[in-house]
Amino acid sequence: MTIHPISAPVDSASEFHKIQSRPASIEVKDISVAFKTPKGTFTAIKDIDLTIQKGEIVALIGHSGCGKSTLMGTISGMTQPTNGTVMANGNVVKGPGPDRGIVFQNYSLLPWLSVYQNIYEAVDSVFKGKTSAEKREITEENLKMVNLWPHKDKLPGQLSGGMKQRVAIARAFAINPSILLLDEPFGALDALTKGSMHIELLKLWNLDNRNKTIVMVTHDIEEAIFLSDRVVVMNNGPAATIKEIVDVRLPRPRNKKDIVHDPAYMEIHDRLMGLLFDKFSIEDD
Amino acid sequence: MKKLLNLQTYLPLLFGIGSTIILIGAWWGISLLTNSEIPSPLMTWSVFNEMLATPFYDYGPNDKGIGNQLVSSLIRVFSGFGLGSLVAIPLGLLIGSSKTAFRLINPIIQILRPVSPLAWFPLGLLAFKAAEGATIFIIFVTSVWPTLINTAFGVASIPQDHKNVAKAYGFSRWKYITKVIIPFALPHIITGLRLSIGVAWMVIVAGEMLSGGVGIGFFVWDSWNALSLEKILSAILIIGTVGLLLDKGFDWLQKRFAFA
Ligand SMILES: Nc1ncnc2c1ncn2[C@@H]1O[C@H](COP(=O)(O)OP(=O)(O)OP(=O)(O)O)[C@@H](O)[C@H]1O
Ligand SMILES: [Mg+2]
Repeated sequence: MTIHPISAPVDSASEFHKIQSRPASIEVKDISVAFKTPKGTFTAIKDIDLTIQKGEIVALIGHSGCGKSTLMGTISGMTQPTNGTVMANGNVVKGPGPDRGIVFQNYSLLPWLSVYQNIYEAVDSVFKGKTSAEKREITEENLKMVNLWPHKDKLPGQLSGGMKQRVAIARAFAINPSILLLDEPFGALDALTKGSMHIELLKLWNLDNRNKTIVMVTHDIEEAIFLSDRVVVMNNGPAATIKEIVDVRLPRPRNKKDIVHDPAYMEIHDRLMGLLFDKFSIEDD
Repeated sequence: MKKLLNLQTYLPLLFGIGSTIILIGAWWGISLLTNSEIPSPLMTWSVFNEMLATPFYDYGPNDKGIGNQLVSSLIRVFSGFGLGSLVAIPLGLLIGSSKTAFRLINPIIQILRPVSPLAWFPLGLLAFKAAEGATIFIIFVTSVWPTLINTAFGVASIPQDHKNVAKAYGFSRWKYITKVIIPFALPHIITGLRLSIGVAWMVIVAGEMLSGGVGIGFFVWDSWNALSLEKILSAILIIGTVGLLLDKGFDWLQKRFAFA
Protein backbone atom coordinates (compact mmCIF):
# COMPACT_ATOMS: atom_id res chain seq x y z
CA MET A 1 0.00 0.00 0.00
CA THR A 2 1.13 3.56 -0.53
CA ILE A 3 0.29 6.60 1.49
CA HIS A 4 0.58 10.09 0.18
CA PRO A 5 0.27 12.55 3.01
CA ILE A 6 1.09 15.22 0.47
CA SER A 7 -2.31 14.81 -1.13
CA ALA A 8 -4.16 14.80 2.17
CA PRO A 9 -6.66 17.62 2.61
CA VAL A 10 -5.20 20.72 4.14
CA ASP A 11 -6.80 22.04 7.27
CA SER A 12 -7.86 25.62 6.85
CA ALA A 13 -6.58 26.57 10.28
CA SER A 14 -3.10 25.46 9.41
CA GLU A 15 -0.40 27.68 8.10
CA PHE A 16 0.98 25.62 5.26
CA HIS A 17 0.06 27.95 2.44
CA LYS A 18 1.58 30.83 4.29
CA ILE A 19 4.80 28.93 4.88
CA GLN A 20 5.12 27.88 1.26
CA SER A 21 4.85 31.46 0.10
CA ARG A 22 7.52 32.72 2.47
CA PRO A 23 11.10 33.42 1.46
CA ALA A 24 13.64 30.67 1.80
CA SER A 25 15.49 30.62 5.07
CA ILE A 26 17.90 27.81 4.33
CA GLU A 27 18.88 26.62 0.88
CA VAL A 28 21.03 23.54 0.73
CA LYS A 29 22.14 23.31 -2.88
CA ASP A 30 23.47 20.05 -4.11
CA ILE A 31 25.98 19.57 -1.33
CA SER A 32 28.31 16.68 -0.64
CA VAL A 33 30.61 16.26 2.32
CA ALA A 34 33.64 14.00 2.16
CA PHE A 35 36.02 13.47 5.09
CA LYS A 36 39.66 12.66 4.68
CA THR A 37 40.45 9.58 6.70
CA PRO A 38 43.62 7.47 6.93
CA LYS A 39 41.87 4.96 4.66
CA GLY A 40 41.08 7.52 1.98
CA THR A 41 38.16 9.88 1.55
CA PHE A 42 34.87 8.97 3.10
CA THR A 43 31.79 10.54 1.54
CA ALA A 44 29.29 11.03 4.32
CA ILE A 45 26.51 12.81 2.45
CA LYS A 46 26.02 13.35 -1.26
CA ASP A 47 23.90 15.49 -3.54
CA ILE A 48 21.65 16.89 -0.85
CA ASP A 49 19.12 19.47 -2.00
CA LEU A 50 16.81 21.00 0.55
CA THR A 51 15.05 24.32 0.77
CA ILE A 52 13.55 25.32 4.06
CA GLN A 53 11.15 28.26 4.26
CA LYS A 54 11.30 30.95 6.85
CA GLY A 55 9.37 29.90 9.92
CA GLU A 56 9.32 26.25 9.04
CA ILE A 57 10.07 23.50 11.54
CA VAL A 58 11.84 20.63 9.86
CA ALA A 59 12.87 17.37 11.47
CA LEU A 60 15.75 15.31 10.19
CA ILE A 61 15.60 11.58 10.81
CA GLY A 62 17.68 8.64 9.73
CA HIS A 63 19.70 5.83 11.17
CA SER A 64 22.69 6.49 13.36
CA GLY A 65 25.76 7.49 11.37
CA CYS A 66 23.86 8.36 8.20
CA GLY A 67 25.04 11.96 8.19
CA LYS A 68 22.42 14.04 10.00
CA SER A 69 24.95 15.88 12.13
CA THR A 70 27.12 16.38 9.07
CA LEU A 71 24.25 17.98 7.19
CA MET A 72 23.46 20.17 10.22
CA GLY A 73 27.12 21.12 10.32
CA THR A 74 27.04 22.46 6.80
CA ILE A 75 24.03 24.63 7.66
CA SER A 76 25.57 25.90 10.87
CA GLY A 77 28.83 26.57 9.05
CA MET A 78 30.84 24.33 11.35
CA THR A 79 31.58 22.01 8.42
CA GLN A 80 32.44 23.17 4.93
CA PRO A 81 30.77 21.10 2.20
CA THR A 82 33.12 19.50 -0.30
CA ASN A 83 30.70 20.37 -3.09
CA GLY A 84 27.73 22.68 -3.36
CA THR A 85 26.69 25.67 -1.29
CA VAL A 86 24.43 26.41 1.61
CA MET A 87 22.58 29.70 1.89
CA ALA A 88 21.18 30.96 5.16
CA ASN A 89 18.99 34.07 5.19
CA GLY A 90 20.12 34.82 1.66
CA ASN A 91 23.85 34.65 2.37
CA VAL A 92 26.28 31.92 1.45
CA VAL A 93 27.30 30.10 4.63
CA LYS A 94 31.04 30.43 5.09
CA GLY A 95 31.13 29.80 8.82
CA PRO A 96 28.97 29.99 11.92
CA GLY A 97 27.09 33.20 12.57
CA PRO A 98 24.83 34.69 15.23
CA ASP A 99 21.82 34.25 12.93
CA ARG A 100 22.07 30.51 13.57
CA GLY A 101 21.87 29.10 17.09
CA ILE A 102 23.30 25.64 17.48
CA VAL A 103 22.60 22.93 20.01
CA PHE A 104 25.35 20.37 19.55
CA GLN A 105 24.62 16.71 19.90
CA ASN A 106 27.13 16.43 22.74
CA TYR A 107 26.01 19.67 24.46
CA SER A 108 29.48 21.23 24.16
CA LEU A 109 29.43 23.19 27.39
CA LEU A 110 32.64 24.66 28.72
CA PRO A 111 33.34 22.56 31.82
CA TRP A 112 35.13 25.30 33.77
CA LEU A 113 32.28 27.79 33.45
CA SER A 114 29.16 27.65 35.60
CA VAL A 115 25.79 27.08 33.98
CA TYR A 116 25.20 30.82 34.18
CA GLN A 117 28.56 31.75 32.69
CA ASN A 118 28.19 29.26 29.87
CA ILE A 119 25.15 31.18 28.70
CA TYR A 120 26.38 34.62 29.65
CA GLU A 121 29.60 34.28 27.64
CA ALA A 122 27.66 33.33 24.51
CA VAL A 123 25.23 36.21 25.04
CA ASP A 124 28.11 38.57 25.71
CA SER A 125 29.85 37.44 22.57
CA VAL A 126 26.82 37.87 20.32
CA PHE A 127 25.20 41.02 21.74
CA LYS A 128 28.19 43.31 21.77
CA GLY A 129 26.05 46.46 21.80
CA LYS A 130 23.98 45.57 24.87
CA THR A 131 24.76 46.69 28.42
CA SER A 132 25.83 44.05 30.88
CA ALA A 133 22.56 44.48 32.77
CA GLU A 134 20.66 43.61 29.59
CA LYS A 135 22.90 40.66 28.94
CA ARG A 136 22.41 39.41 32.49
CA GLU A 137 18.67 39.72 32.06
CA ILE A 138 18.73 37.67 28.84
CA THR A 139 20.81 35.02 30.56
CA GLU A 140 18.45 34.87 33.53
CA GLU A 141 15.36 34.73 31.34
CA ASN A 142 16.66 31.81 29.32
CA LEU A 143 17.88 29.89 32.34
CA LYS A 144 14.46 30.26 33.92
CA MET A 145 12.84 29.07 30.72
CA VAL A 146 14.64 25.74 31.00
CA ASN A 147 14.07 25.61 34.77
CA LEU A 148 17.75 25.75 35.62
CA TRP A 149 17.85 29.02 37.51
CA PRO A 150 18.31 27.23 40.87
CA HIS A 151 21.30 25.41 39.36
CA LYS A 152 22.92 28.44 37.79
CA ASP A 153 26.12 28.23 39.84
CA LYS A 154 26.82 24.56 39.18
CA LEU A 155 29.54 23.39 36.84
CA PRO A 156 28.51 21.22 33.88
CA GLY A 157 30.25 18.26 35.53
CA GLN A 158 27.72 18.48 38.35
CA LEU A 159 24.70 18.25 36.02
CA SER A 160 22.75 15.31 34.67
CA GLY A 161 22.72 14.69 30.91
CA GLY A 162 19.27 16.20 30.59
CA MET A 163 20.28 19.30 32.53
CA LYS A 164 23.33 19.80 30.31
CA GLN A 165 21.11 19.51 27.30
CA ARG A 166 18.81 22.18 28.71
CA VAL A 167 21.76 24.51 29.27
CA ALA A 168 22.78 23.99 25.65
CA ILE A 169 19.21 24.76 24.55
CA ALA A 170 19.04 27.87 26.71
CA ARG A 171 22.33 29.03 25.23
CA ALA A 172 21.11 28.62 21.65
CA PHE A 173 17.81 30.37 22.46
CA ALA A 174 19.54 33.16 24.35
CA ILE A 175 21.26 34.58 21.29
CA ASN A 176 17.82 34.89 19.66
CA PRO A 177 18.83 33.53 16.25
CA SER A 178 16.49 33.49 13.28
CA ILE A 179 17.51 29.90 12.61
CA LEU A 180 17.74 27.27 15.33
CA LEU A 181 19.75 24.17 14.55
CA LEU A 182 19.11 21.48 17.12
CA ASP A 183 21.01 18.19 16.95
CA GLU A 184 19.04 15.71 19.05
CA PRO A 185 18.24 18.45 21.53
CA PHE A 186 15.85 16.43 23.64
CA GLY A 187 17.52 13.02 23.37
CA ALA A 188 18.70 12.81 26.95
CA LEU A 189 15.49 14.08 28.51
CA ASP A 190 12.84 12.03 30.26
CA ALA A 191 9.40 12.02 28.66
CA LEU A 192 8.01 14.64 31.04
CA THR A 193 10.85 17.13 30.64
CA LYS A 194 10.90 16.45 26.92
CA GLY A 195 7.21 17.32 26.73
CA SER A 196 7.68 20.61 28.52
CA MET A 197 10.70 21.44 26.34
CA HIS A 198 8.53 20.85 23.27
CA ILE A 199 6.04 23.34 24.63
CA GLU A 200 8.83 25.83 25.38
CA LEU A 201 10.19 25.45 21.87
CA LEU A 202 6.80 26.04 20.30
CA LYS A 203 6.11 28.91 22.67
CA LEU A 204 9.28 30.57 21.59
CA TRP A 205 8.43 29.96 17.99
CA ASN A 206 4.93 31.41 18.43
CA LEU A 207 6.23 34.34 20.41
CA ASP A 208 8.27 35.34 17.40
CA ASN A 209 5.19 35.03 15.13
CA ARG A 210 6.55 31.76 13.80
CA ASN A 211 9.35 33.59 12.08
CA LYS A 212 12.09 31.41 13.44
CA THR A 213 13.21 28.53 11.29
CA ILE A 214 13.94 25.39 13.26
CA VAL A 215 15.82 22.37 11.98
CA MET A 216 16.16 19.51 14.39
CA VAL A 217 17.68 16.08 14.28
CA THR A 218 15.72 13.48 16.18
CA HIS A 219 15.35 9.74 16.50
CA ASP A 220 11.90 10.14 17.95
CA ILE A 221 9.20 9.82 15.30
CA GLU A 222 6.42 11.09 17.60
CA GLU A 223 8.50 14.13 18.43
CA ALA A 224 9.22 14.76 14.76
CA ILE A 225 5.54 14.67 13.83
CA PHE A 226 4.38 16.67 16.82
CA LEU A 227 6.78 19.52 16.21
CA SER A 228 7.50 19.76 12.53
CA ASP A 229 6.01 20.85 9.25
CA ARG A 230 8.13 18.46 7.27
CA VAL A 231 10.18 15.42 8.13
CA VAL A 232 13.29 14.76 6.07
CA VAL A 233 14.17 11.09 6.02
CA MET A 234 17.74 10.25 5.09
CA ASN A 235 19.13 7.10 3.55
CA ASN A 236 21.80 5.10 5.26
CA GLY A 237 25.35 6.15 4.56
CA PRO A 238 27.94 6.20 3.19
CA ALA A 239 27.11 8.85 0.61
CA ALA A 240 23.71 9.28 2.22
CA THR A 241 21.03 11.17 0.32
CA ILE A 242 17.53 12.31 1.16
CA LYS A 243 15.23 9.33 0.92
CA GLU A 244 11.98 11.21 1.15
CA ILE A 245 10.48 14.34 2.58
CA VAL A 246 7.20 13.75 4.37
CA ASP A 247 4.85 16.68 4.89
CA VAL A 248 3.14 16.92 8.24
CA ARG A 249 -0.10 18.68 7.46
CA LEU A 250 -1.54 18.67 10.92
CA PRO A 251 -3.18 21.87 12.12
CA ARG A 252 -1.57 23.93 14.84
CA PRO A 253 -1.73 24.35 17.71
CA ARG A 254 -1.31 20.63 18.12
CA ASN A 255 -2.31 18.83 21.23
CA LYS A 256 -0.04 15.99 22.17
CA LYS A 257 -2.81 13.85 23.63
CA ASP A 258 -5.32 14.28 20.83
CA ILE A 259 -2.96 14.35 17.90
CA VAL A 260 -2.09 10.66 18.17
CA HIS A 261 -5.71 9.76 17.46
CA ASP A 262 -5.80 11.85 14.32
CA PRO A 263 -5.89 9.52 11.29
CA ALA A 264 -3.57 11.87 9.43
CA TYR A 265 -1.06 11.54 12.29
CA MET A 266 -1.25 7.77 12.11
CA GLU A 267 -0.72 7.83 8.38
CA ILE A 268 2.38 9.94 8.70
CA HIS A 269 3.62 7.83 11.57
CA ASP A 270 3.27 4.65 9.55
CA ARG A 271 4.85 6.23 6.52
CA LEU A 272 7.91 7.27 8.55
CA MET A 273 8.16 3.88 10.18
CA GLY A 274 8.00 2.32 6.75
CA LEU A 275 10.76 4.55 5.46
CA LEU A 276 13.02 3.92 8.44
CA PHE A 277 12.45 0.21 8.77
CA ASP A 278 12.19 -1.45 5.39
CA LYS A 279 10.68 -4.62 6.78
CA PHE A 280 7.97 -2.74 8.58
CA SER A 281 4.47 -3.16 7.31
CA ILE A 282 1.31 -1.83 8.85
CA GLU A 283 -0.48 -5.14 8.44
CA ASP A 284 1.71 -6.45 11.26
CA ASP A 285 -0.09 -4.23 13.76
CA MET B 1 36.28 -5.34 62.38
CA LYS B 2 37.15 -2.55 64.73
CA LYS B 3 40.76 -3.66 64.83
CA LEU B 4 40.96 -3.66 61.04
CA LEU B 5 39.58 -0.13 60.94
CA ASN B 6 42.24 1.02 63.37
CA LEU B 7 44.96 -0.57 61.31
CA GLN B 8 43.66 1.20 58.18
CA THR B 9 43.82 4.61 59.84
CA TYR B 10 47.31 4.08 61.19
CA LEU B 11 48.66 2.51 58.03
CA PRO B 12 50.16 5.70 56.56
CA LEU B 13 51.87 6.40 59.88
CA LEU B 14 53.20 2.85 60.07
CA PHE B 15 54.57 3.08 56.55
CA GLY B 16 56.14 6.43 57.39
CA ILE B 17 57.87 4.91 60.40
CA GLY B 18 58.91 1.97 58.22
CA SER B 19 60.61 4.10 55.61
CA THR B 20 62.33 6.21 58.27
CA ILE B 21 63.74 3.03 59.79
CA ILE B 22 64.98 1.86 56.38
CA LEU B 23 66.62 5.22 55.67
CA ILE B 24 68.31 5.48 59.05
CA GLY B 25 69.28 1.82 58.97
CA ALA B 26 70.94 2.11 55.56
CA TRP B 27 72.63 5.30 56.60
CA TRP B 28 73.91 3.72 59.75
CA GLY B 29 75.17 0.73 57.85
CA ILE B 30 77.12 2.90 55.42
CA SER B 31 78.46 4.92 58.30
CA LEU B 32 79.70 1.73 60.00
CA LEU B 33 81.17 0.38 56.75
CA THR B 34 83.10 3.60 56.17
CA ASN B 35 84.38 3.70 59.75
CA SER B 36 82.34 6.83 60.42
CA GLU B 37 83.93 8.71 57.58
CA ILE B 38 80.31 9.18 56.65
CA PRO B 39 78.92 10.39 59.95
CA SER B 40 76.21 8.34 61.61
CA PRO B 41 72.63 9.60 61.89
CA LEU B 42 73.18 10.29 65.57
CA MET B 43 76.28 12.45 64.96
CA THR B 44 74.45 14.28 62.20
CA TRP B 45 71.40 14.78 64.38
CA SER B 46 73.30 16.80 66.99
CA VAL B 47 74.84 19.04 64.29
CA PHE B 48 71.45 19.34 62.63
CA ASN B 49 69.87 20.51 65.88
CA GLU B 50 72.67 22.97 66.42
CA MET B 51 72.11 24.39 62.93
CA LEU B 52 68.38 24.72 63.50
CA ALA B 53 68.83 26.26 66.95
CA THR B 54 70.16 29.52 65.50
CA PRO B 55 69.13 29.49 61.87
CA PHE B 56 69.52 33.20 61.23
CA TYR B 57 72.86 34.15 62.74
CA ASP B 58 75.14 36.29 60.63
CA TYR B 59 78.88 36.39 61.34
CA GLY B 60 80.01 38.00 58.13
CA PRO B 61 79.91 37.00 54.49
CA ASN B 62 81.20 33.44 54.92
CA ASP B 63 79.42 32.46 58.07
CA LYS B 64 75.66 32.70 58.05
CA GLY B 65 72.90 30.56 59.55
CA ILE B 66 71.16 27.86 57.55
CA GLY B 67 67.97 29.92 57.51
CA ASN B 68 69.77 32.79 55.78
CA GLN B 69 71.23 30.38 53.26
CA LEU B 70 67.86 28.84 52.54
CA VAL B 71 66.13 32.19 52.20
CA SER B 72 68.66 33.50 49.69
CA SER B 73 68.44 30.30 47.66
CA LEU B 74 64.67 30.46 47.68
CA ILE B 75 64.70 34.09 46.59
CA ARG B 76 66.96 33.19 43.67
CA VAL B 77 64.88 30.20 42.73
CA PHE B 78 61.63 32.13 42.80
CA SER B 79 63.10 35.08 40.88
CA GLY B 80 64.45 32.84 38.12
CA PHE B 81 61.37 30.66 38.18
CA GLY B 82 59.04 33.66 38.08
CA LEU B 83 60.84 35.23 35.15
CA GLY B 84 61.02 31.88 33.39
CA SER B 85 57.30 31.34 33.83
CA LEU B 86 56.55 34.82 32.53
CA VAL B 87 58.30 33.85 29.33
CA ALA B 88 57.26 30.20 29.18
CA ILE B 89 53.50 30.57 29.66
CA PRO B 90 52.79 33.14 26.92
CA LEU B 91 55.24 31.45 24.56
CA GLY B 92 53.63 28.09 25.31
CA LEU B 93 50.19 29.53 24.62
CA LEU B 94 51.49 30.83 21.31
CA ILE B 95 53.18 27.70 20.06
CA GLY B 96 50.32 25.54 21.31
CA SER B 97 47.78 27.48 19.29
CA SER B 98 49.76 28.24 16.14
CA LYS B 99 51.18 25.50 13.98
CA THR B 100 53.52 27.98 12.31
CA ALA B 101 54.91 29.17 15.63
CA PHE B 102 55.26 25.58 16.76
CA ARG B 103 57.23 24.59 13.69
CA LEU B 104 59.47 27.62 13.99
CA ILE B 105 60.18 27.38 17.70
CA ASN B 106 60.02 23.68 18.43
CA PRO B 107 63.44 22.85 16.88
CA ILE B 108 65.03 25.53 19.03
CA ILE B 109 63.44 24.06 22.14
CA GLN B 110 64.55 20.57 21.18
CA ILE B 111 68.17 21.72 20.81
CA LEU B 112 68.37 23.85 23.94
CA ARG B 113 66.31 21.80 26.35
CA PRO B 114 68.83 18.95 26.83
CA VAL B 115 71.63 21.40 27.64
CA SER B 116 72.57 21.41 31.32
CA PRO B 117 71.49 24.76 32.71
CA LEU B 118 74.96 25.18 34.19
CA ALA B 119 76.36 25.59 30.70
CA TRP B 120 74.57 28.95 30.63
CA PHE B 121 76.43 30.18 33.68
CA PRO B 122 79.34 31.82 31.82
CA LEU B 123 76.93 33.57 29.47
CA GLY B 124 75.04 34.78 32.52
CA LEU B 125 78.27 36.11 33.98
CA LEU B 126 79.02 37.86 30.75
CA ALA B 127 75.59 39.37 30.53
CA PHE B 128 75.11 40.41 34.15
CA LYS B 129 78.71 40.91 35.22
CA ALA B 130 77.78 39.32 38.54
CA ALA B 131 77.41 35.84 39.96
CA GLU B 132 74.03 36.72 41.45
CA GLY B 133 72.56 37.60 38.05
CA ALA B 134 74.17 34.58 36.46
CA THR B 135 72.66 32.24 39.07
CA ILE B 136 69.19 33.66 38.59
CA PHE B 137 69.76 33.41 34.84
CA ILE B 138 70.45 29.67 34.94
CA ILE B 139 67.37 29.14 37.11
CA PHE B 140 65.43 31.15 34.54
CA VAL B 141 66.67 28.92 31.71
CA THR B 142 65.95 25.81 33.77
CA SER B 143 62.39 26.86 34.59
CA VAL B 144 61.43 27.72 31.05
CA TRP B 145 61.37 24.27 29.44
CA PRO B 146 58.92 22.16 31.45
CA THR B 147 56.39 25.00 31.70
CA LEU B 148 56.79 25.89 28.05
CA ILE B 149 56.35 22.34 26.84
CA ASN B 150 53.44 21.53 29.12
CA THR B 151 51.63 24.76 28.31
CA ALA B 152 52.04 24.20 24.59
CA PHE B 153 50.88 20.61 24.93
CA GLY B 154 47.86 21.68 26.97
CA VAL B 155 46.80 24.27 24.45
CA ALA B 156 47.37 21.94 21.52
CA SER B 157 45.13 19.29 23.08
CA ILE B 158 42.01 21.43 23.47
CA PRO B 159 39.13 19.19 22.39
CA GLN B 160 37.25 20.10 19.23
CA ASP B 161 34.05 20.47 21.28
CA HIS B 162 35.43 23.43 23.17
CA LYS B 163 36.72 25.06 20.00
CA ASN B 164 33.30 24.51 18.44
CA VAL B 165 31.61 26.53 21.17
CA ALA B 166 33.94 29.44 20.53
CA LYS B 167 33.41 29.16 16.80
CA ALA B 168 29.64 28.74 16.94
CA TYR B 169 29.14 31.72 19.25
CA GLY B 170 31.74 33.89 17.58
CA PHE B 171 34.03 34.37 20.59
CA SER B 172 36.51 37.19 20.13
CA ARG B 173 40.18 36.26 20.25
CA TRP B 174 40.42 37.65 23.77
CA LYS B 175 37.39 35.70 24.96
CA TYR B 176 38.76 32.58 23.32
CA ILE B 177 42.07 32.96 25.13
CA THR B 178 40.61 33.81 28.53
CA LYS B 179 37.52 31.59 28.54
CA VAL B 180 38.71 28.57 26.57
CA ILE B 181 42.46 28.30 26.10
CA ILE B 182 43.69 29.34 29.53
CA PRO B 183 41.09 27.51 31.63
CA PHE B 184 41.67 24.35 29.62
CA ALA B 185 45.44 24.64 29.69
CA LEU B 186 45.65 25.69 33.35
CA PRO B 187 46.06 22.20 34.82
CA HIS B 188 48.78 21.53 32.23
CA ILE B 189 50.44 24.86 33.01
CA ILE B 190 50.47 24.07 36.71
CA THR B 191 51.96 20.65 35.99
CA GLY B 192 54.67 22.44 34.02
CA LEU B 193 55.28 24.89 36.84
CA ARG B 194 55.51 22.04 39.30
CA LEU B 195 58.15 20.30 37.19
CA SER B 196 59.97 23.59 36.65
CA ILE B 197 60.22 24.46 40.32
CA GLY B 198 61.43 20.92 41.03
CA VAL B 199 64.27 21.15 38.52
CA ALA B 200 65.05 24.71 39.56
CA TRP B 201 65.45 23.60 43.16
CA MET B 202 67.85 20.88 42.02
CA VAL B 203 69.84 23.23 39.84
CA ILE B 204 70.18 25.97 42.45
CA VAL B 205 72.45 23.77 44.57
CA ALA B 206 74.84 23.21 41.69
CA GLY B 207 74.53 26.83 40.58
CA GLU B 208 75.46 28.18 43.98
CA MET B 209 78.45 25.89 44.16
CA LEU B 210 79.67 27.73 41.07
CA SER B 211 78.63 31.19 42.14
CA GLY B 212 79.59 31.23 45.81
CA GLY B 213 78.16 33.82 48.18
CA VAL B 214 75.19 32.91 50.29
CA GLY B 215 72.90 29.99 49.55
CA ILE B 216 72.23 26.40 50.38
CA GLY B 217 74.39 25.15 47.50
CA PHE B 218 77.29 27.29 48.61
CA PHE B 219 76.70 26.10 52.16
CA VAL B 220 77.17 22.49 51.03
CA TRP B 221 80.36 23.39 49.22
CA ASP B 222 81.64 25.45 52.14
CA SER B 223 80.92 22.61 54.55
CA TRP B 224 82.96 20.31 52.31
CA ASN B 225 85.86 22.72 52.51
CA ALA B 226 85.46 22.77 56.26
CA LEU B 227 85.29 18.98 56.17
CA SER B 228 82.00 18.97 58.04
CA LEU B 229 80.15 16.04 56.57
CA GLU B 230 77.52 16.33 59.28
CA LYS B 231 76.62 19.73 57.90
CA ILE B 232 76.51 18.40 54.36
CA LEU B 233 74.19 15.58 55.34
CA SER B 234 71.99 17.95 57.33
CA ALA B 235 71.87 20.27 54.35
CA ILE B 236 70.86 17.37 52.10
CA LEU B 237 67.98 16.58 54.44
CA ILE B 238 66.92 20.22 54.48
CA ILE B 239 67.18 20.56 50.69
CA GLY B 240 65.09 17.44 50.30
CA THR B 241 62.46 18.66 52.74
CA VAL B 242 62.17 22.07 51.11
CA GLY B 243 61.93 20.42 47.68
CA LEU B 244 59.17 18.20 48.99
CA LEU B 245 57.28 21.17 50.41
CA LEU B 246 57.57 23.07 47.13
CA ASP B 247 56.23 20.06 45.30
CA LYS B 248 53.37 19.69 47.76
CA GLY B 249 52.51 23.34 47.28
CA PHE B 250 52.16 22.93 43.56
CA ASP B 251 50.33 19.66 44.05
CA TRP B 252 47.82 21.60 46.11
CA LEU B 253 47.53 24.24 43.38
CA GLN B 254 47.00 21.51 40.81
CA LYS B 255 44.12 20.05 42.79
CA ARG B 256 42.72 23.48 43.44
CA PHE B 257 42.51 24.34 39.75
CA ALA B 258 41.38 21.01 38.37
CA PHE B 259 37.87 21.39 36.96
CA ALA B 260 35.42 18.59 37.47
N1 LIG C 1 35.27 14.51 11.12
C1 LIG C 1 34.96 13.32 10.52
N2 LIG C 1 35.93 12.59 9.95
C2 LIG C 1 35.64 11.41 9.34
N3 LIG C 1 34.42 10.88 9.29
C3 LIG C 1 33.41 11.56 9.86
C4 LIG C 1 33.63 12.81 10.52
N4 LIG C 1 32.45 13.25 10.99
C5 LIG C 1 31.54 12.32 10.66
N5 LIG C 1 32.11 11.31 9.96
C6 LIG C 1 31.43 10.13 9.42
O1 LIG C 1 30.34 10.56 8.67
C7 LIG C 1 29.20 9.73 8.89
C8 LIG C 1 28.03 10.57 9.34
O2 LIG C 1 28.29 11.06 10.63
P1 LIG C 1 27.24 11.95 11.41
O3 LIG C 1 27.83 12.35 12.69
O4 LIG C 1 26.78 13.04 10.51
O5 LIG C 1 26.04 10.91 11.64
P2 LIG C 1 24.63 11.12 12.34
O6 LIG C 1 23.59 10.82 11.35
O7 LIG C 1 24.58 12.43 13.01
O8 LIG C 1 24.65 9.94 13.41
P3 LIG C 1 24.00 9.91 14.89
O9 LIG C 1 22.54 9.72 14.72
O10 LIG C 1 24.61 8.71 15.51
O11 LIG C 1 24.35 11.17 15.55
C9 LIG C 1 29.63 8.68 9.88
O12 LIG C 1 29.93 7.50 9.18
C10 LIG C 1 30.87 9.25 10.51
O13 LIG C 1 31.76 8.22 10.83
MG1 LIG D 1 24.58 13.02 14.93
